Amino acid sequence: MTDNDVIIAEGVVKTYDDAGVPVHAVRGIDYTLKKGEFTAIIGPSGSGKTTFLNVLAGLDTPTEGKVRLSGKLISDMSGRELSDFRRDHIGFIFQAYNLFPVLTVEENVEYVMLLQGIPAAERHDRVMSILEKVGIAEYAPRLPMQLSGGQQQRVAVARAMVSRPSLIMADEPTANLDSTTSGALLDMMRQLNEETGMTFLFSTHDEIVMSRARKIVILRDGRIDGKASSDEY
Amino acid sequence: MFSRLLKFAWKVIWRNFRRTLITGIAVGLGLGAIMFTEALMQGMSTHMIQTTTESWMGDAQIHGNGFLDTRNINLVIKRPDSILSLLELDSSVSFYTPRILSPASATSATEMKPVTLIGVDMQTDPEVTMLKTAIDSGFYFSGDSTELIIGYKLAEDLDAGLGDVIVITAAQAGSGLSSSMFFVSGICRFGNDNLDRYSAFINISAAGAMLGIQGEIHEIAVRFPQVEMGADTSLGFWSRFSVFGNTALGWPELAPQIGSLLNMVNVSMAIMAAILFGLVVFGIVNSLFMSVFERMYEFGVMKAVGTRTGTITVMVILEAFWIAVISTVTGIAIGLLIIWITSKTGISFGDLEVSGVMIDRPIYPEMILSRIWIFPLFTLILTTAAGIYPGIHASRLNPAEAMRKSL
Repeated sequence: MTDNDVIIAEGVVKTYDDAGVPVHAVRGIDYTLKKGEFTAIIGPSGSGKTTFLNVLAGLDTPTEGKVRLSGKLISDMSGRELSDFRRDHIGFIFQAYNLFPVLTVEENVEYVMLLQGIPAAERHDRVMSILEKVGIAEYAPRLPMQLSGGQQQRVAVARAMVSRPSLIMADEPTANLDSTTSGALLDMMRQLNEETGMTFLFSTHDEIVMSRARKIVILRDGRIDGKASSDEY
Repeated sequence: MFSRLLKFAWKVIWRNFRRTLITGIAVGLGLGAIMFTEALMQGMSTHMIQTTTESWMGDAQIHGNGFLDTRNINLVIKRPDSILSLLELDSSVSFYTPRILSPASATSATEMKPVTLIGVDMQTDPEVTMLKTAIDSGFYFSGDSTELIIGYKLAEDLDAGLGDVIVITAAQAGSGLSSSMFFVSGICRFGNDNLDRYSAFINISAAGAMLGIQGEIHEIAVRFPQVEMGADTSLGFWSRFSVFGNTALGWPELAPQIGSLLNMVNVSMAIMAAILFGLVVFGIVNSLFMSVFERMYEFGVMKAVGTRTGTITVMVILEAFWIAVISTVTGIAIGLLIIWITSKTGISFGDLEVSGVMIDRPIYPEMILSRIWIFPLFTLILTTAAGIYPGIHASRLNPAEAMRKSL
């Protein structure tokens, strides 16, 4: 483990039960994510991308193997430590946006900062700044249902980034977006990656994401089937 | 943070407007119903106490020691003049009236019935009892020593009417029997079987002469400014008049059946409240669980972005708190409205007799704040507490599983 390693997975296996049938989603993966990477985990549906991402983020516990987040073994962390770690170091972008429907755009984006105990004035400034950056500042008082899919995903991106995490994990972030919106969103994230050194890890099977990723990890049947740069792929 | 969670919870509960509304109204109706029942029971208790004390008993009575247990006519009040003088001067006493009491038999032309012969002081009795206003036909005492007032049921039993001759026979103090002839001058209707069927009222002087105890009395009935004073054990009256070999007792001791009835009412209310609050808790837990299951993904996301388990538990409890506030406000409004309406109209139970007391007038529900506040408070606390279990459940969800299951 070096200072440059954000996540290290060693022999990770994840099997879960689906109505009595064991599902072997991840079958022994060794993987290291380094600082500043802009990496996409790709593979067909059912290849274990989302499960692997969840295990790497500490959202799910591996059946076997070890995961280290910034040098700490997830299995050694208490639930509270893990929550605080995710709150302070990881931003999540989900496939279905997953905004809180009863909160306004501004309230959705400030949610994590609220958990961090950041003062209201600072929260407001940072929310408006990030909303401007993602191009939806004028929608701050609106509810998510009053926005288009692309706009909602921008809110999700803003929410993930506003607390300035060192790592953004995005699970199929463009799954519900048209190609133009997807391209614009990816360009924006790539720009952030280049400007701030923020690490991005995607799970996707969208070619637009693959084309923007600097590294690609190919997953098939719960195993890494290959690694490549996007140019190579 | 807490105020934001409170605001968040408020918004969440209105996501499913219909469910929140139905839950609030259902719990509110339950609360309103129990508030009304409490007020009705209170009204009924007051009615029974007033009927018992105002009609005849008084708020308190003074007897010679042992008289109440034996009804021995020799056990008269000791130093009656001193006691009556003290009563005249006592600031806590509004009115009082002396009586003579004796077991006797009443004989008409055709029937003979056992009665309690009661010698009444016609000057002071109307201020303490309802005998004068209970006269159904005929007249109250005018001072004639042969006047007799009997209840309508005794009149039926004796087959006697106004002006008829009734012979009263009673044991004299010391020894011997005494019989005297009276004319029915009045027939009364108290709505109390004991007074309407088993009592015969004559002038106190006539009673004293008949029983050979002139100048003596067996009982003094007392009225206080408020009926509650009769149940106030801290009142100085009891010690002031339990002297010279006499005992002063309040209505709860004189009519223990009323006290038992009030206890029964309290126990019934407690049982009803326990059932209601049990249903409320299960209803709210069910409603919140439905809400939690519908929002599995959201809780998964909340946990994923770093919300601590305690915060999620608190949030669900706050949702329960808001439902509790809505339900309590609704319940108070419903309860107060029903109580207000029925306190104006009264509720008639026909001719119902409870513990020997006839409830033949409408009952007016009474709201006593010192008793009724407990129900809204319990609704608020228990409904809020009902959020604990669903809250803990939501906080323990595995975020990945929660998001996977709800997809």
